[in-house]
Amino acid sequence: MSKSEWEKVKEALRKPATPEAMREAAQAFAQYRKVSLGKGNSRPTLVTLGRGRGYPNATPVDKIPEQLAKNPEFFDLMKKVVAKEKS
Amino acid sequence: MPTAVLLSDFDLPTRSASGFLLRYIAPRVEPFQLFSFLARRLPFQLSAPQSDIIIGTGHGEEQAFTGQNEAVILEVGKYDPREVRGKVIKLLSCQCGVELCPDLVKNGAACAMGYTDDYVWVMDSDLASTPWADKMAATCLMPVVAGLNVLLDGKTAQEALDTELTQYDCYAEIEEDELIKSCIEFNRDNAVLRGDPEARIRPRPKLPLPFRLVPPPPILAPLRR
Repeated sequence: MSKSEWEKVKEALRKPATPEAMREAAQAFAQYRKVSLGKGNSRPTLVTLGRGRGYPNATPVDKIPEQLAKNPEFFDLMKKVVAKEKS
Repeated sequence: MPTAVLLSDFDLPTRSASGFLLRYIAPRVEPFQLFSFLARRLPFQLSAPQSDIIIGTGHGEEQAFTGQNEAVILEVGKYDPREVRGKVIKLLSCQCGVELCPDLVKNGAACAMGYTDDYVWVMDSDLASTPWADKMAATCLMPVVAGLNVLLDGKTAQEALDTELTQYDCYAEIEEDELIKSCIEFNRDNAVLRGDPEARIRPRPKLPLPFRLVPPPPILAPLRR
């Protein structure tokens, strides 16, 4: 189940960073999040050692859909990390 | 011989990365260890020329590596070549592999290892005071520790990089979470070695027994949010 949800996340991230694609990626990630990750008591947070980026250095995994929907730079980061595509 | 280790720890990512080096690398090396507020330019300038290896973790970009509160430590064209000449350098930071690492080599470093894009991982922010206990973060940070240990054993920079890459593959293969797996693969694909792949340093003693068994005390310093 989570594998197919993850494929949807990747598919959405392969699109250019238009508002529609960003919303689609946010929804796909939120759906993936429902069936995977975040079990137990931990607070998973996506972090980066970047400097002066247009996105936060620490994004709680629960907030990734929010960032994906509103922040093109974060969308591009996830595109590189998840879909393995340079924007 | 002293070892210049720069460990900034003012926010979640630097605390997490520094935590692993504090637990597994710092006990193997002699001072100088520039931890927290000491991870700044002046202490680095004083200690680096005496060391044969520079290990740093902090935020970075293509042209610069920073320490505590993003104080610039090394920036293309803005350091004395004496600080890096003949040294093996490892920067756990974002994008330093693009311009800074080649510049360090051009200015006399034996080799410089870094990453050509962001260094990303998933950490448990509930474990900020004991970051070394974070199993999610370990999937990305333990390969870095493994590579550094190979360097400290006196093996070549290429062997250290190969060890790090192999470890990423091992963690990626067993990781069930797709986001964490993507981060591992992303970091693996961006790890680079510039300069002499045969460069090596004087071997350091293995991790002393007490440190193998007992982790450091919790870090209670507040984080910048």
